[in-house]
Amino acid sequence: MLAAVIYIAGAIALHCCAQLNMSAPAAPKSYVLYAAEPQAVAANKQSDLEVRFQVVQGFHINSHTPRSKFLIPTMLTLQTATGVKPGTPEFPAGQLYSFAFDPSEKVDVYAGSFTVKLPVVAAAGEHSIDATLKYQACDNASCYPPKTLAVKILFTAR
Amino acid sequence: MRRTLLLLIMIAGIALIAWSGWQNLRQRRDLLQVQQDRRVDLIPDTQGAATDDSTGGESQLKGKLAPAFTLADIDGKKVSLSDFKGHPLLINYWGTYCAPCKIEMPWLQEFSKKYAADGFRVIGITYDSEVGRDTIARDSKQLGVTYPILLSDPKAEKDYLSNTEVLPMSFYVDKAGKVIEVTAGAGSKDQLESMVKEIIATGVK
Repeated sequence: MLAAVIYIAGAIALHCCAQLNMSAPAAPKSYVLYAAEPQAVAANKQSDLEVRFQVVQGFHINSHTPRSKFLIPTMLTLQTATGVKPGTPEFPAGQLYSFAFDPSEKVDVYAGSFTVKLPVVAAAGEHSIDATLKYQACDNASCYPPKTLAVKILFTAR
Repeated sequence: MRRTLLLLIMIAGIALIAWSGWQNLRQRRDLLQVQQDRRVDLIPDTQGAATDDSTGGESQLKGKLAPAFTLADIDGKKVSLSDFKGHPLLINYWGTYCAPCKIEMPWLQEFSKKYAADGFRVIGITYDSEVGRDTIARDSKQLGVTYPILLSDPKAEKDYLSNTEVLPMSFYVDKAGKVIEVTAGAGSKDQLESMVKEIIATGVK
């Protein structure tokens, strides 16, 4: 009977937590979107995961290699994940962008969608890597403070 | 015997509820991330400098006296708005990460010299003062800026920027200390110069 009481208490606690989690405050304003797309790779072999991001229309972010050392590059930092050995994220080349009020100054940016390749060697099974994208966004005349975006990379190694 | 069987069925049932609750929690967490990541506030893709109506907040200052402040410059010296009393003034909020700010700052420097005889002055206020004086000094030196560069504080930020995070933000103040125009985002060099001329021509000392 005691076991039954413990289980009931446990089940109630879990449902409460789920509700609390849903009522957490909304995330801050974001200029980059990410939706986890489950992927499959070969187990115990180096394979590339693709991490796709979408920059909100009307904005751009500095690429991983902006043309000025004074600008904040887009970076992806990874948390350690059991059974996964990640390599260094490979960022795509950016595109040159100039502001309408001064076409002579060019910056290197991502706009629209961009994909970061992440080499991994993973043991067989389902995996999840927590990562953080750091970026700094501008529109055609203004800039916004640097932001971070929490990312969960889901994949299966077979 | 029946009692034991009943107890086992109860335990199995409750365990199932607990397990489904846990699964539910995990699914909700994953879903929550996707939902949160999709939350955005869109800003219209306007051409050139946005005006005071496009970003909200800053227009509150237009037509009012510029709020007083005393802020430290990059050498730690205190600088007050009242030090510039009677001067047409451009108060320019900028950030070290802000490319458009860095494009227009050399223009502000040029105008601060060109119109100095008319009493015109420029004050730069650094929004991301947490990057430290060294970085701010390095950037402003690299841009050739010699006008005062101050480090923002929460009060000045609240008074001037309200809740907006847009940079650059420029406040054109006439000789009487009144904010004549507020612009969010960088405009063309010509637009900027015409605003400078306007504040030089407006207001009584």
